[in-house]
Amino acid sequence: MAQPNHANYHHAYTTYDPDETPRPPRPKRFKDDKLNHIADQLVAPTDVFNQYAAPQHPQHQPPTQQHRYPTNIAYNKQQYQQQYQHQYQQQAHQFPFTSSQPSGTLPSPKAIMDKRHPSSFQQLEKLGEGTYATVFKGRNRQTGELVALKEIHLDSEEGTPSTAIREISLMKELKHENIVSLHDVIHTDNKLMLVFEYMDKDLKKFMDSRGSGGQLDYLTIKSFMYQLLHGIAFCHENRVLHRDLKPQNLLINNKGQLKLADFGLARAFGIPVNTFSNEVVTLWYRAPDVLLGSRTYNTSIDIWSAGCIMAEMYTGRPLFPGTTNEDQLQKIFRLMGTPSERSWPGITAFPEYKPGWHVYATQDLRMILPTVEPAALDLLGRCLQLRPEMRVGAQEATDHAWFRDLNVGRAQPQQQQQQQHTQAQQIGQGMVGSQGQMPMGQQQQGMGMTAGGYGMPAYQ
Amino acid sequence: MPYQARPTCDSYFVDSHEERARAVREEEREHERYFKRQTQKTIGQNLSEMDSEAYGADILSHMEKMEIETLPDVASIEIQTEIQWYMRPYLLDFLIEAHTAFALLPETFFLTINLLDRYCSKRIVYKRHYQLVGSAALLIAAKYGDRKERVPTIRELKCMCCNLYDDEMFTQMEWHVLQTLGWNIGHPTIDSFLQLALENVMYDPEVEHMTRYISEMALFHKDFVSKRPSDMARASLALARCILERPQALSSDWAAQYDPQTLLILSQQLHQPSQVLSRKYSTSQVCRVSMKLEDFLAVQASINRRHVPPPTPPAEKPVSHQSYQPITPVKQPYLPSAPNGTMTPPITPNTDAYYVGGQACMPNGLPPTPVSIGSQPPQNQYDSHYYRLPPINQLPSMI
Repeated sequence: MAQPNHANYHHAYTTYDPDETPRPPRPKRFKDDKLNHIADQLVAPTDVFNQYAAPQHPQHQPPTQQHRYPTNIAYNKQQYQQQYQHQYQQQAHQFPFTSSQPSGTLPSPKAIMDKRHPSSFQQLEKLGEGTYATVFKGRNRQTGELVALKEIHLDSEEGTPSTAIREISLMKELKHENIVSLHDVIHTDNKLMLVFEYMDKDLKKFMDSRGSGGQLDYLTIKSFMYQLLHGIAFCHENRVLHRDLKPQNLLINNKGQLKLADFGLARAFGIPVNTFSNEVVTLWYRAPDVLLGSRTYNTSIDIWSAGCIMAEMYTGRPLFPGTTNEDQLQKIFRLMGTPSERSWPGITAFPEYKPGWHVYATQDLRMILPTVEPAALDLLGRCLQLRPEMRVGAQEATDHAWFRDLNVGRAQPQQQQQQQHTQAQQIGQGMVGSQGQMPMGQQQQGMGMTAGGYGMPAYQ
Repeated sequence: MPYQARPTCDSYFVDSHEERARAVREEEREHERYFKRQTQKTIGQNLSEMDSEAYGADILSHMEKMEIETLPDVASIEIQTEIQWYMRPYLLDFLIEAHTAFALLPETFFLTINLLDRYCSKRIVYKRHYQLVGSAALLIAAKYGDRKERVPTIRELKCMCCNLYDDEMFTQMEWHVLQTLGWNIGHPTIDSFLQLALENVMYDPEVEHMTRYISEMALFHKDFVSKRPSDMARASLALARCILERPQALSSDWAAQYDPQTLLILSQQLHQPSQVLSRKYSTSQVCRVSMKLEDFLAVQASINRRHVPPPTPPAEKPVSHQSYQPITPVKQPYLPSAPNGTMTPPITPNTDAYYVGGQACMPNGLPPTPVSIGSQPPQNQYDSHYYRLPPINQLPSMI
């Protein structure tokens, strides 16, 4: 009886090669998928322990929790060490003040197998460079999965930068379909590597790659705005201010999903909202109250940025491309009108208020965006309010009439499928909504901007 | 020469006139500035109210979810082999002093202790590294919540620890704390819940500082390590209001849903605050709440004495205890040349004999004195009965 079992055991092990074949799907243990999901999370994945453990049956699961230390003080140390040898070694590897592995040598196969080692990712081309980090495309050597690797150079003097601490801890809290997910954090001697899910492009590059001068078609804009506002609403509900929304920090994948990224300037706020630094947000997307030196801003600063991004998607050019703080305010006032104590009570109290501003009259948004449908303009107008208290909330904005047809599409999946079917016939190279996403990304092929009106996407 | 060149009589009056005018202008400008600050404050409050109206409920439920995820496990700390509960007050005193010296936000201190306790419930901590873990926790908490200029540098921290640890040890320990906690730093502190509870109430600094004082006192006790910060905030607030004779929160308020049991235990811990902590709360900026609490307790005690007939021998401290005083384990005068005037807790004793059989013995080589719990003089604030509850009949009469 034991013999065939034994052979089976080896057979099972040798056929399972994590490099070659993908992991077989875990058997479903519960009827309820939610429970299965929880169970999957409870059980540690075997490959983490593979490098330490003897060949074992793939079905065998190692102990669920990382064992801390024995609860019973009078324990047999030797026996304990044998039993939990692999964990012991791992702990020794993690604990500081133990000698680290010699550097400068080629990574061992074990190191490549180790999920927590930088060499388990193949570094591909550079995707971008920020003030404190560089982002590379990467490939997981084990699974072949594409990832984005954000490398943060560590200042040996002061340890982990505060931006990294905030970014990582906030992103761990924010799990949402419209926020880039953080897979792992890897630490080496002089750098910190954040492993993010791979997204194809950022919004800036996405717009540049479109032929018509960076302009997007209005269905794409509607979908992107909806997802952007959803992401922002989720941040705000979880007491996080992003504080650096701009097209470069919004990532797009080829399923047409938009996700917020780069939480380097983000921070948690309390109730009541505390005072913050006013050196936040890239100048072009900075709200007027912040430009005026306010330190008591609230969630509305993200909404202003969202408004700027929306207008940029329509025109292909940034809405307020200022060069200095002063110039930025000028450009904003030229469109929105110069505020006075009458139109904005309390404006003279702001630290950066200057009485000698050129007085501009308020312009109609329709003048700069003549082809945009009225509902979209209404939303844009609610986002781009000089006074922060007048700006729309993110949650409220997702319920705006302009998005009504998107929501209808969600509530009636049959109708959506039909729509997608007709889309597929119409679109050659366009993207197709997926995973319950709204229909989006239709190319402007033969249909005029005004054809749809609002509320119903115009397919014919 | 310049004095002679100056015209004599006229200028005197002109000068004085100008000076007066300048003073008036200065006053006006000061008034204007004050007015502007007030206006800004009002605008900020309005914005904050808007946010709390729109997201208050979501944020509260998120905070309540997070507080459970980031709760330390007191049972795991209990089985630490090297660090003991009697060491905790020394470390906390050090951290309070460091926190005050760097002028960090009140919230940062609560976060520091949370990070420290969570680390200690996951990793074995050596006695000689206890202070290092505390310092690393302070560093992380400051980086998470405070302004960049305020975050202590590693050199400053090293200085505060009397060069006990190298620079790299701080960065390594910081990293290890972060990794052990899975980078989940967003712990909603007692302070953040307190702010939330006080949101719609008229600003009363005295109540706020008293609540902080009480909840920081609670951080010293192991009974509260695994208590939820929202419970702690509500109970401390209710107790502070009771002490300061302020009206309690309306029963419909979130703040009114405190746990009476927590409140009861809290009220028993007010009698022997850490001297460092009571000094911190004795300045006028924090309304001298530690003195107010002392006065309150004295009044309570006198009421109790009046009600309960004094036993014979009288309840006053027996004279014989005086002789024990010199040999009580006091905070070791450790490296008097410490910069910034901060003391370092004797976490790394020079000899193993320092800690013998569960009783702290004298530094400087004096033999350990067997002290029974009942006869210990009150001057020794960090002894073992510090963690024991007094019998119920000794409760302050207010409860």
